[in-house]
Amino acid sequence: MKKLILIATVLCLLFSISFSQSKELNIGDIAPDIRLPNIKGDTVSLYTLKNKIVLIDFWASWCAPCVNEQPKLAALYKKYKNSVFTVGKGFEIYGVSLDNKKKSWQGIIKKYNINWIQVSDLQFWASPVAKTYNLQELPFNLLINGKGEIIAKNLHGDKLEKAIKKILIRSDK
Amino acid sequence: MKKIKINLLSFLAIVLLTFAIQIINASGQEPWKANQLLAPADLNKTFNNPKSPQPVIYSIGFQAIIKNSIDIGPGRDKESLKKLKLQLSKLPKDANIVIYCGCCPFNACPNIRPVFNLLNEMGFKNHKLLNLPQNIKVDWIDKGFAIKK
Repeated sequence: MKKLILIATVLCLLFSISFSQSKELNIGDIAPDIRLPNIKGDTVSLYTLKNKIVLIDFWASWCAPCVNEQPKLAALYKKYKNSVFTVGKGFEIYGVSLDNKKKSWQGIIKKYNINWIQVSDLQFWASPVAKTYNLQELPFNLLINGKGEIIAKNLHGDKLEKAIKKILIRSDK
Repeated sequence: MKKIKINLLSFLAIVLLTFAIQIINASGQEPWKANQLLAPADLNKTFNNPKSPQPVIYSIGFQAIIKNSIDIGPGRDKESLKKLKLQLSKLPKDANIVIYCGCCPFNACPNIRPVFNLLNEMGFKNHKLLNLPQNIKVDWIDKGFAIKK
């Protein structure tokens, strides 16, 4: 009987540990909603972008490779913003910054003329969104379709554009 | 045939030697020694044991996340180094000091090296770098170690 109780306790413990850890998101999974404030302090929900192809870009002003990538993202945004895709109409970027100082975050937005959605809770790596999305490193991104399904994970440069082109029907500038 | 074999062996020996020299050089470039890297679990243990001597913990990255740590600011900034220097000037040279950043993997971190060099230059004898090889989320927060409330 004691053995049985011990086994049950161990199983409960393992079960609770596995549930307390954030799950890795994979291709085909629905991207969880993110509701964070933009620079003005207005909350912007990821789910308001349903029906669009969305690139969720996790970055920070202190992450050099992330900052270096911004001009490339700007080019993609300009090129595909009004395009029609197999599952979605229009391309949007939802930038999530892991900055902790508004000034630094704002500085990069201004410097690179970033004109797509930018949100942050200014909590650095302690941001709950880092846990929800099981972030392991920066830069990190996810491409989601109009249904909110993840269709590509952590692609950069040409590989990212190739993934966008793969679902492109018509490019309207 | 014998000559070719000897030449091939000589070539391999040179390649291996060059590779070994490169490794020695690369490992010697860091301002800290292997025994100056503090395991996160060991630091966390000190919080749970009030009898254990508590180190002075400086956050030299972008946010002080770890319990009891003092926010200095990014170690790459001159202002942060000045602020830290002032704080360090009040400590004995054998003070138990721990520094951490945790923004990025060690090889990409812009903050840890200037601060560790400063501690070395100021003649501290008991300073350590918290071993967060990937970042503070993966190596500290995700492990459930103590954070500021």
